[in-house]
Amino acid sequence: MSEPVPITINVNGRKRSAMVEPRLLLVHFLRESLNLTGTHVGCDTSQCGACTVLLDGSSAKSCTVFAVQADGSEVQTIEGLADGDELHPLQDGFWEEHGLQCGYCTPGMIMSAVNLLEENPAPSEAEIREGISGNLCRCTGYQHIVNAIQHAAERMAQS
Amino acid sequence: MEIKGEQEFNGPRELLYELLLDPDVLAGALPGVERFEEVGPETYESTMRVGIASVRGTYTGRVEVLEQAPPEAYRLRIDGSGKPGGVRADATVELSENGSGTTMHYRAEVKARGTIARLGGRLLGGVARLLIGQFFKSIEQQVDDRAA
Amino acid sequence: MTIADGPALPKLIGERVKRREDPRLIQGQATYVDDIKLPGMLHLAFKRSDIAHGVIRSIDTSAAAAMEGVELVITGAELAEHLGPMPIGTPFPAPDHFSVATDKVRYVGEPVAVVVAEDRYIARDAADAIEVEYDELPAVVDPEAAMEADSATLHEGFERNIAVESYWGGTGVNPETAQPEDDSAVDAAFAEADVVVSQRMLNQRLAPNAMEPRGVVAQYEPGREYLTVWSATQNPHILRTLVAAMMGLGEHQVRAVAPEVGGGFGCKINIYGEEYVAAALSRLVKAPVKWIEDRTEAFLTTTHGRDLLGYIDLAAKSDGTITGLKARIIADIGAYEVLLTAMIPTLTGLMMNGVYRLPVVRHELTEVFTNKTPTDAYRGAGRPEGLYFLERAVDMVARELDMDPAEIRRKNFVPADEFPFATQSGLVYDSGNYEPCLDKALEVADWQGLLAERDAARAEGRIVGVGLSFYVEVCGLGPSAVVPTGGWEHSGVTVERGGKVTATTGASPHGQGNETTFAQMLADHFSIPLEDITILHGDTGVVKQGIGTFGSRSQAVGGAALISAAGKAGDKMKQFAAALMTDQEVSPEDLVFEDGRIQVEGAPEVSKTFAEVADYAYVPVPLPPGMEPGVSEEAFFEPENNTYPFGCHISMVEVDRDTGETKLLKLIAVDDCGNVINPLIVDGQVHGGLAQGIGQAMFEEVVYDEDGQPVTASFMDYVMPRAADLPVFELDRTVTPTPINPLGAKGVGEAGTIGSTPCVVNAAVDALAPFGVTHIEMPLRPERMWRLINEGGQS
Repeated sequence: MSEPVPITINVNGRKRSAMVEPRLLLVHFLRESLNLTGTHVGCDTSQCGACTVLLDGSSAKSCTVFAVQADGSEVQTIEGLADGDELHPLQDGFWEEHGLQCGYCTPGMIMSAVNLLEENPAPSEAEIREGISGNLCRCTGYQHIVNAIQHAAERMAQS
Repeated sequence: MEIKGEQEFNGPRELLYELLLDPDVLAGALPGVERFEEVGPETYESTMRVGIASVRGTYTGRVEVLEQAPPEAYRLRIDGSGKPGGVRADATVELSENGSGTTMHYRAEVKARGTIARLGGRLLGGVARLLIGQFFKSIEQQVDDRAA
Repeated sequence: MTIADGPALPKLIGERVKRREDPRLIQGQATYVDDIKLPGMLHLAFKRSDIAHGVIRSIDTSAAAAMEGVELVITGAELAEHLGPMPIGTPFPAPDHFSVATDKVRYVGEPVAVVVAEDRYIARDAADAIEVEYDELPAVVDPEAAMEADSATLHEGFERNIAVESYWGGTGVNPETAQPEDDSAVDAAFAEADVVVSQRMLNQRLAPNAMEPRGVVAQYEPGREYLTVWSATQNPHILRTLVAAMMGLGEHQVRAVAPEVGGGFGCKINIYGEEYVAAALSRLVKAPVKWIEDRTEAFLTTTHGRDLLGYIDLAAKSDGTITGLKARIIADIGAYEVLLTAMIPTLTGLMMNGVYRLPVVRHELTEVFTNKTPTDAYRGAGRPEGLYFLERAVDMVARELDMDPAEIRRKNFVPADEFPFATQSGLVYDSGNYEPCLDKALEVADWQGLLAERDAARAEGRIVGVGLSFYVEVCGLGPSAVVPTGGWEHSGVTVERGGKVTATTGASPHGQGNETTFAQMLADHFSIPLEDITILHGDTGVVKQGIGTFGSRSQAVGGAALISAAGKAGDKMKQFAAALMTDQEVSPEDLVFEDGRIQVEGAPEVSKTFAEVADYAYVPVPLPPGMEPGVSEEAFFEPENNTYPFGCHISMVEVDRDTGETKLLKLIAVDDCGNVINPLIVDGQVHGGLAQGIGQAMFEEVVYDEDGQPVTASFMDYVMPRAADLPVFELDRTVTPTPINPLGAKGVGEAGTIGSTPCVVNAAVDALAPFGVTHIEMPLRPERMWRLINEGGQS
């Protein structure tokens, strides 16, 4: 074990400073140090995407990033997605279209979709399926997730 | 998993055979070896450090040299283990004359356990090729030095 | 005249109501086990065997114990002083199985020692520092070789590694002897058949892979001799029963909580060693402890599913009439029997009657121990195996006779007027009407159009195939006679002050949406708004009794219990309402619930609001004679039989000639699960089931090497279906209600998994039929397909 080092990360618009072990994963920093338990851990090889957050605006698997690597960055998690009481269109889409069952993959899936729609605001069905292929869901068979993302894309296009 | 291949050397077969079974040469040529001791007749114990991804760790192992037929062939039985798991290998080495040089044919049947096994061919094959490559480069150097 | 306080309330049963679970889940506010933190909580890590089979020679824990932050290191032998062998839930003989191995290890991943430490990083470091030496034994990997006399054996007293052997057949089973009464009829049927197909088929080993790995938090409070266990489980009440027994406690001293649970699919039915160990170590170290599984541990130690090898023979007449079935099945159950291990493969034979009139059946089952992770339920649990074997064989007969796969099935269906239908295996199908379901599927898929499309594609040199399957499955487990834990379900319904309703259910969901569907049912029952209802579950401290969620039983058994409790609560509300209307001489029997009021049927002017009746129930002045205050009722529901949903799946695949890669182009599923409470949720259940069934057909397989080393222990090597692998599913349904419960609902959780697997493989075989291929083993790996295209034959 190495000595703790100081880091400062802007998480969901709030500056958070801490002393962390260099080997501490970002996902554990979020979950254990900041109690932001909406970000989940579903595997240990960066395959499932349950831990996806936005790191400086791009989706990143927070189980593959050390907290120290995120020093000075901006991180957005599922907890920071809604605008006050108003759900993000993707959150709303997942609810409307039954895009989740057990909910475990959902925060990571939604954060990946946020990134997807930022890069491609009007994706085709195939582009959505490609876009979320870094995220595993075992419950839904993905169809309602695809519908949810389409629903959100349409709503975001209107506003 | 099977690992096999061949390698050309410049020196004569007798020299190569001698070098390949010399504990001092092996200790110098095997990458990451921290200890290589003769503990019995044709039996060696070794500590080796591997610094590659998920198979990173310190391994302790035992090497037995069997069925020696100088200068043509011998067999190695290797049993090593470390934190990421263990490896057992049965290897045969054959040396044939190739003009002024020597061609070495090697074939090893490797059985792994622990993390090493679970990562399977994905990593183990690559790591083995890398280590074997480093080993041959070093042996080649020594052959050249001796032959010179 | 409008008397109601608000607008008329729409009926919600049958509506696509948005889930009430979702707001917390989409905002990251749900609490899964790993989100629980207790003051002073310590963390567990397990040292696990990295060999498949061996005797533990020594365990050196000194380095681990010396590490800073380590509270305790304990070996299996030491732990055995605190925990006996684990209980199982089947009546079959089983070897002792300790939570942590005491002397011998029998699969890679079996725990050998446990660390308790301050945080999970330290716990893992310490577990890594434990040194174990083994005397290795030969690994038993192949289940058929395991039964040979010269094989190594896993357990004393289980010769040739055989755990369970069963045999039945003929035209009936003598209940006294459990022997077939007239077995000769089977041989006669095959002797007289015009066509016999015989095929060895493997229904491969799978990893359930709920996205949330397992986890447990245990807190033993010595001062009150009370244990609380939070666990990612499908059945907290069974957990309570078994943990109490293992800890030498009564059920009154244990509270088990299934908080938010991230999927189960059968693998969270079993009560695992880690759960008992957490409870025991919390008592030992006098602190709460937590263990969270990582994904590699999940692959190694969470129960696997399937792994049945079938030798299947099907006999038929030249007109396609099926005349007999022989099935010899070998189940590779892994190293131990856990909760339901030995029972699962027995369901395979029971369900192999399928949807057909099968005059004679012979069924042999052998369950075999091997040095692999134990198996247990995985979505479908026994039925996908049986239906796969049967539906593949029926397809092979059709191909042999050059018959349309739909028409051979139609010809052999159990006719609608023969229900309830008794099968050769002794089951009684509750209700069924198969032909309309087949016709609907053919219509939705445009079957003739699909065939034409396939032929056109073939003419262009493409490799395309279509496949069909028709399944029947068994849901609504119960009854208690066949479920060792009890086959009932329990529910409580309390009408609170102000007319709000709190209900509890023992059917503990983990994605099924019971909070929504059960609220829909109560909203309709009491004619009150959905928002006025809360459904509680998953906590034995809140839900008095229960069994759990498995075998597609939530609606068929849990829902029925809810309706029964709601009926009792409603009766009492009506009595209180009548008491409030004494001046109008109202009898409770005349009253109905209507738009937030309790009124005389057809006379809304004679009514009280639901809320005022509830308030009166809690301040009953005067108390009606013979009544107790309050409205809090409960009910157990014991089903008299199972339910038997069915359906028809159709698919189209294309295989890439150069790479062998199979692409699923279409999948049409027409399912009949009886009455539907929430079509949105039912569609979601079907979708998820289809993805898993397709996953088995095309991608998934747990692989061990010849030394018993698992080589698919991460998502890098175990191929899970991803979004881009799947087409848009086309769903439809027919509705054949069950008479078994008042809802007429049969269950739908597993349907998709059962029909889709043979459907997709049938399509793949059809695609490669021009190459002389008659069977393809799962999964449809590109390499396997490429070889068949280039070399023909079977895989």
